Amino acid sequence: MHEEQFNAMRQSIVDGAPEHASELASKALELGIAPLEAINKGFVPGLTHIGEQFRLGEVFLPDLVMAGEAMKAAVAVLEPEMQKRGTQREILGKVVLGTVKGDIHEIGKTLVSTLLSASGFQVFDLGVDVPVERFAEKAREVQADIVGVSALLTTTMQGQKSVVEALDRHGLRPKVKVIVGGAPVTRDWAEKIGADGYGQDAMAAVAIARSLLHK
Amino acid sequence: MNSVWARLTQEQCRQLHNASLEILERTGVRLFNDEALALVREAGAKVTDGNRVRFPARLVDQALSTAPKSVTLHDRMGRPVMPLEGANTFFGPGSDCLNIIDHRTGERRRPVLQDVVEATRVCDALKEMSFVMSMFLPADVPQDIADRYQFQAMLHNTIKPIVFVTYETAGCVDAIAMAEAVAGGADALRERPFVACYINVTTGLLHNADALEKLLFLAGAGLPALYIPVVSGGTTGPVTMAGGLALSNAGVLVGLVISQLKREGAPVVIPGFGGDALDLRTMVDPYCGPDPRGMAQALAHFYQLPMFSLGGASESKLVDQQASIEAALDMLINALCGGHIMHDCGYLESGLTGSLTQLAICNEVVSWIRHACQPVEISAETLALDVIDQVGPDGQFLKLPHTRRHMRERWYPILFDRDNYNGWLAKGGGRTLAERAAEQVSQILASHQCEPLGPAVAEAVRRIVLRAEAQLGREPLAPASGGSYA
Repeated sequence: MHEEQFNAMRQSIVDGAPEHASELASKALELGIAPLEAINKGFVPGLTHIGEQFRLGEVFLPDLVMAGEAMKAAVAVLEPEMQKRGTQREILGKVVLGTVKGDIHEIGKTLVSTLLSASGFQVFDLGVDVPVERFAEKAREVQADIVGVSALLTTTMQGQKSVVEALDRHGLRPKVKVIVGGAPVTRDWAEKIGADGYGQDAMAAVAIARSLLHK
Repeated sequence: MNSVWARLTQEQCRQLHNASLEILERTGVRLFNDEALALVREAGAKVTDGNRVRFPARLVDQALSTAPKSVTLHDRMGRPVMPLEGANTFFGPGSDCLNIIDHRTGERRRPVLQDVVEATRVCDALKEMSFVMSMFLPADVPQDIADRYQFQAMLHNTIKPIVFVTYETAGCVDAIAMAEAVAGGADALRERPFVACYINVTTGLLHNADALEKLLFLAGAGLPALYIPVVSGGTTGPVTMAGGLALSNAGVLVGLVISQLKREGAPVVIPGFGGDALDLRTMVDPYCGPDPRGMAQALAHFYQLPMFSLGGASESKLVDQQASIEAALDMLINALCGGHIMHDCGYLESGLTGSLTQLAICNEVVSWIRHACQPVEISAETLALDVIDQVGPDGQFLKLPHTRRHMRERWYPILFDRDNYNGWLAKGGGRTLAERAAEQVSQILASHQCEPLGPAVAEAVRRIVLRAEAQLGREPLAPASGGSYA
């Protein structure tokens, strides 16, 4: 039932077409498809597919970003209806994200944010040049499961260590997990500063966030 | 490419041309073929001592005025795919290696017919290989007529143009008969030639009987001949590059004169290499020394004639750093110099050994060269000023349709690794270029198959091979059908 609709939804994500995805989401509601079903049977398989293709080198980063955007557009249409029905998409976890103090690079961090939210995480994106304490405050406020700290420069990656220390000071660890990323960041560095996870790209960040929360 | 890098000035080309004319008038050459002797004598050349021929310059001028400035090789389906003119460059393998380094095992061994089949299929699949030659001399077929088996194997396993080599004239005649069977007759093959014969001539001054016979046969049929006199500096010619090239070029002009006397307008492809010398320490004939690069190409462009050039060979014994570097430099400079048919991709050990792994690496390098040399489009779309203005200082370009529209125009490697360290380790366990290239070859062989010959055509081709067998007085060894070539 509704196979054709689900295929079109899947394709709109693969094509990275937010407007089309949002139209299809509205149409799904008109057709009486449950919003959760539209997400799980229609849109999510598209994102899964494009993620695999990206890992294989078949699609490029902008394709992945736009797939994420299309996913967000579809969810934005479906979410109010889910609330009305008292259902909700399973939230895999709450993630506070930001680029560390002194660093204004945002593309990588935003990409991680897009893919995490497209994958079902609730993301609180603090933006760039974020003071160390702000990470801890926000994590406490929203009862975050994960804090993600981005740094592009070797000079600013020290700030990732400071964020870990701040979370310790606030007594949020080890309940709150820390993941770090950015061009100069390595697994060794992550271990050295006591972070819980490191991903070399945005897809890896999603996989690590899932595994830290056993999802 | 937009233009060609000229190693020689126009004035230097004229000097070389005049030097070749002087060699032809003053020193003369020997022709070991009666028909060729009769043609040149009739045209006004001076023949002494039975076959020593001195040519007046006007014969050369005449030939240069009628030889076609452009030859277009077609594919087996009759589509024009290799217009040999201007700055067009096409790469392919070399021919007749006596050894193969097996991409599966790394073993250096004698090649067999199946290796010819596999090399042809790999060339057919590799995008940047524009034509095919029989990379290997197969040891498991009757050696006197191995050329027929090679040609049959190539016909079955590629649709790309074929540059072929035969021992004797009979082999050339048989190859053309097979090609005519495929093309649908002599006229069809002449109009849309998809094969060209590579003729080696003893030296610039000695024109052997087989070379002249093949040249006359092909000229008579109006089919392209690659007439290539070989001069090795220090032994069969002067060790200086200018003298070596003047001498080999004299031989090239002899071939042009004879072909045009046989049939005005007959297509001839001249060498885009020359001025080489033996390594006088080892007596190895080096394939990619730096010294003579670009000279013969400049001369061929001076004549505005199609050329058969070099590119992609190495002197190394292995698929190693030397092999990669020599092949890449050789292909790049020969491409910049505007060689047309550039052969010897996959050659190692100065032409004695071939490797499909090395061939795949060459293919990757050619794709790089193509992108490095292709013309750049400057337009409203590519300048993207509206896009820049739309994004401004605070935005980024990742999500723009413009980015997705154009991002695949850039070069992306197939074999060269651009991953980060962990990605490189994760995807295949940190392999070398050669290991990745060998895997690409295996993947092609597991999956790629060209459009097969029709059964009637395959049978006609097979009969020609059988006829050559019968003339040898041996039992036919050709397979009962084209099947084992498929």
